[in-house]
Amino acid sequence: MKQEIALNINGDTYELLVSPNQTLLEVLRDNLGLMGTKRGCDLGACGACTVLLKGEAYLSCLMLAMDAVDKEIVTIEGLGGRGNLDPLQSAFVEQGALQCGFCTPGMILTAKAMLSEEDHPTEDIIKKRMAGNLCRCTGYKKVIEALQSVSEQTAEEE
Amino acid sequence: MRLPKFEYVEPKSIEEACSILSDESSAKILAGGTDLLANMKHRVEVPSVLANIKRISGLDFIRQDNGAIRIGALTPLKRLYKTTLVTEKVPALSSAAASVGSYHHQTMGTLGGNLCQQNRCKYFNQSQWWRSAREPCFKAGGGICHVVNKKEICYSSYCGDMAPILLVMNAKVVLANKGDSREISLQSLFSGDGKTPLDTKKGEILTEIVIPEEALNSFSTYSKFANRESIDFPIVGAAIWSSVQRKEHRVSFTAVDRKPIRARNIESVLKGRDLSEEIVEEVAGLASKEAALVKSSNYAPSYKRRLMEGLLRSTLKEAMRRS
Repeated sequence: MKQEIALNINGDTYELLVSPNQTLLEVLRDNLGLMGTKRGCDLGACGACTVLLKGEAYLSCLMLAMDAVDKEIVTIEGLGGRGNLDPLQSAFVEQGALQCGFCTPGMILTAKAMLSEEDHPTEDIIKKRMAGNLCRCTGYKKVIEALQSVSEQTAEEE
Repeated sequence: MRLPKFEYVEPKSIEEACSILSDESSAKILAGGTDLLANMKHRVEVPSVLANIKRISGLDFIRQDNGAIRIGALTPLKRLYKTTLVTEKVPALSSAAASVGSYHHQTMGTLGGNLCQQNRCKYFNQSQWWRSAREPCFKAGGGICHVVNKKEICYSSYCGDMAPILLVMNAKVVLANKGDSREISLQSLFSGDGKTPLDTKKGEILTEIVIPEEALNSFSTYSKFANRESIDFPIVGAAIWSSVQRKEHRVSFTAVDRKPIRARNIESVLKGRDLSEEIVEEVAGLASKEAALVKSSNYAPSYKRRLMEGLLRSTLKEAMRRS
């Protein structure tokens, strides 16, 4: 039976009727039309469905929507838009860290969570943390370079 | 892939969660969900009720109490390598946690959930459609095992990354049951039957992991071989704990049997001796005899035997260097 819940997504509160067996990913895409969050493997192996929950990187395909109640959710749509890009988004564009772009929302959100936890991650740490986000076209080198440039940028600002 | 239908509940206390488990025979506990929900999508597990225990407070902690380190079952794996108490006192536990799945799994997954994960097998960790080409096996509710043609036993392997390092530290676990609780050794938590890998009583929930003080001041390490280095279950994993003063060395393996195992034969050969190149070579040859390997994964038992030997050799040599 469907149940009424309220989700806090990108600063807005959404009141929804959901089934207990709906994942957060299904609710984001099917109920709310937030298509930035991608459905890849749907089993937690590719990272395309990554969203931020209280600033941490979660796989929305392995999380029940009911379980996300009372947690601040940020999807790629909440990060920044045209003319107002997040530094990570700008870095991905400048470094050419994407090709088809399917994995990019997950990559950027995982990177966001990582950079909020690690002050100046080494290349080794970046590779370890990003390992759960698969890219099937452009590769990982430019993604790592984009992350390094943002990390250096914040170091300079400090 | 849609999840099957189930009733969702959020118990407010452990007692309430225990009664749900004992009243509803096919109820399951939801913690991190990274193992359970993936299995449910494959219809390997189809619980009628899911009890989400993450809303219960007081199950997420790391503290030192009378020398022993006590860790709440809901502690995320990530916290094990972000908390100074763990990185300083039990660095091997931190690095084992960092070797589980991906960064996301380490954020979502809990220590209790990792220990209680389902066994794995190449025949049933597949979609329902894929499995439908064969007769259902024990694990999928049928009456046959496609790995070993024996009656009534499921030969799936336990592939957890956290169990081996906790086993060599002689860790204990606390199981709560409706206001009551009991502390047992981690080893006795595992049944050795692939169909029901945990040997718990009806209604019991793992609430705490206890690492005894005696385990803290000696060298220990966990090492694994996996298909993808960064994000995968182990093909074989091995942990050792080595005390120079007591001349005691403990060894455990994961992904080689229906439960994580302590290599008792190797341990008795090592007992009372100092580690040396010769002794390491002597026991490395014994590694593969500790488990009766079967073809439950895509890797041949002969390959896994060599991995067991290689891991034992490299971890023991590391212990030699450190001491």
